[in-house]
Amino acid sequence: MYEFDWSSIPGALPFLWEGMKVSLEITACAVLFGIAWGTLLAMARLSSIKPLAWLAASYVNLFRAIPLVMVLLWFFLIVPQVLRGVFKLDAGTDVRLASALVGFALFEAAYYSEIIRAGIQSVPKGQISAASALGMSYAQAMRLVVLPQAFRNMVPLLLTQAIVLFQDTSLVYVSALADFFGAAYKVGDRDGRLVELLLFAGAVYFVICFAASQAVRRYQKKLNAHVAH
Amino acid sequence: MISIQNVSKHYGAFQVLTDCSTEVNKGEVIVVCGPSGSGKSTLIKCVNGLEPFQSGSITVDGISVGDPKTNLPKLRSRVGMVFQHFELFPHMSITDNLSIAQIKVLGRGKDEATDKGLKLLDRVGLKAHADKFPGQLSGGQQQRVAIARALAMDPICMLFDEPTSALDPEMINEVLDVMVELAQEGMTMMCVTHEMGFARKVANRIVFMDKGQIVEDDDKDSFFGNPRSERARQFLAKILTH
Ligand SMILES: Nc1ncnc2c1ncn2[C@@H]1O[C@H](COP(=O)(O)OP(=O)(O)OP(=O)(O)O)[C@@H](O)[C@H]1O
Ligand SMILES: [Mg+2]
Repeated sequence: MYEFDWSSIPGALPFLWEGMKVSLEITACAVLFGIAWGTLLAMARLSSIKPLAWLAASYVNLFRAIPLVMVLLWFFLIVPQVLRGVFKLDAGTDVRLASALVGFALFEAAYYSEIIRAGIQSVPKGQISAASALGMSYAQAMRLVVLPQAFRNMVPLLLTQAIVLFQDTSLVYVSALADFFGAAYKVGDRDGRLVELLLFAGAVYFVICFAASQAVRRYQKKLNAHVAH
Repeated sequence: MISIQNVSKHYGAFQVLTDCSTEVNKGEVIVVCGPSGSGKSTLIKCVNGLEPFQSGSITVDGISVGDPKTNLPKLRSRVGMVFQHFELFPHMSITDNLSIAQIKVLGRGKDEATDKGLKLLDRVGLKAHADKFPGQLSGGQQQRVAIARALAMDPICMLFDEPTSALDPEMINEVLDVMVELAQEGMTMMCVTHEMGFARKVANRIVFMDKGQIVEDDDKDSFFGNPRSERARQFLAKILTH
């Protein structure tokens, strides 16, 4: 019978917290960049300029057809070299975090753009007509009328995607980065207590994601009630 | 003010408008009617360039709508339009609905735009609702706000696309009253509507459309008294028995 021994966890908490900060940092960055870049991609896909729409569609389909872990590996191998070349960094500078961030954000933007595209399409066409009839340019109609409504409808989906993304951050372990999962793994490995540490990490992920999903659900209920009214 | 000449439009093989011509002079009220699908909305949307057309020409205040060099947003800012489904911006308060285009399109200051919006809101009898959101108003109230929003831009003419057809019967009159008042003040108006009472009261001419063509374009007395075409006669008979 396996004897659980949780004694290495309390001492490792500060180290694990550092890892959690990395995970949250990657999540926040990928959410922000993913939404910004995803919005541009969505607008490009809906654009009447055919080549632009085609390019955006190809981008989205490409990233959605590749496993995240491979994207991260490529970025782990390629981006640091590019950055070193461009910015003349010396070999010691740690660019793994930057590379993980870039890979993540580019990948997530593909998913966000699909959510945002659906959100834009959910705004009735008459709204653009009304904005145009008042003399707004297409860009103004988008920015002032369509996108605010689209985002308001999309908030629950965007948050749900952020929760998925937070879980996905554990994949950066391929770049040997000490995110929360990586940190737990390291501690477990060092103390020979891998099972305990991974169980603990799993529990932490579960608590955070479950609580966040519940919060999103409550928010969605409130939103629906508001719309019905 | 509005001149429509030999305008034709098709979606692929489907001909929506065939060789339509009519005029709206300054201060005139023209009512456009006709069966569903006859192209009324399409025609009126061509006037402010919301719908492109393939041949013919439309000028508004001497400016050609179809000319690629025309600054369409600028032209549209001078032409008010009211839609069947109101199309107020649901994420903005009534005050913001009234001022946003004044600020962003005409470059007016916030205070000036708000004042102007509130004055017009008062005019359509809704001053008390300034801080509400569109979803909190009835259909008739929303449509009156939509008219005020268009008027806030100081338009040289107004286009109406079935402004009362999405409303419950008891709300139709509150909107028509605003439109009648506007007509009596001398606003140039082109109105797609089946409200024949409104047409009788204020229209100078009636344009009757069928299958993408302007079948009749007559002053109201001859249109109501003795429509020339069989199709207009049938249409009138049907609408008046309703
Ligand atoms: N984007 C489009 N593509 C193809 N056909 C269209 C399109 N928009 C409108 N049509 C067609 O053009 C015709 C005229 O439409 P329009 O909306 O102008 O009619 P209408 O007279 O306003 O009718 P209603 O009284 O129902 O509003 C209709 O047969 C419609 O099906
Ligand atoms: Mg119509």
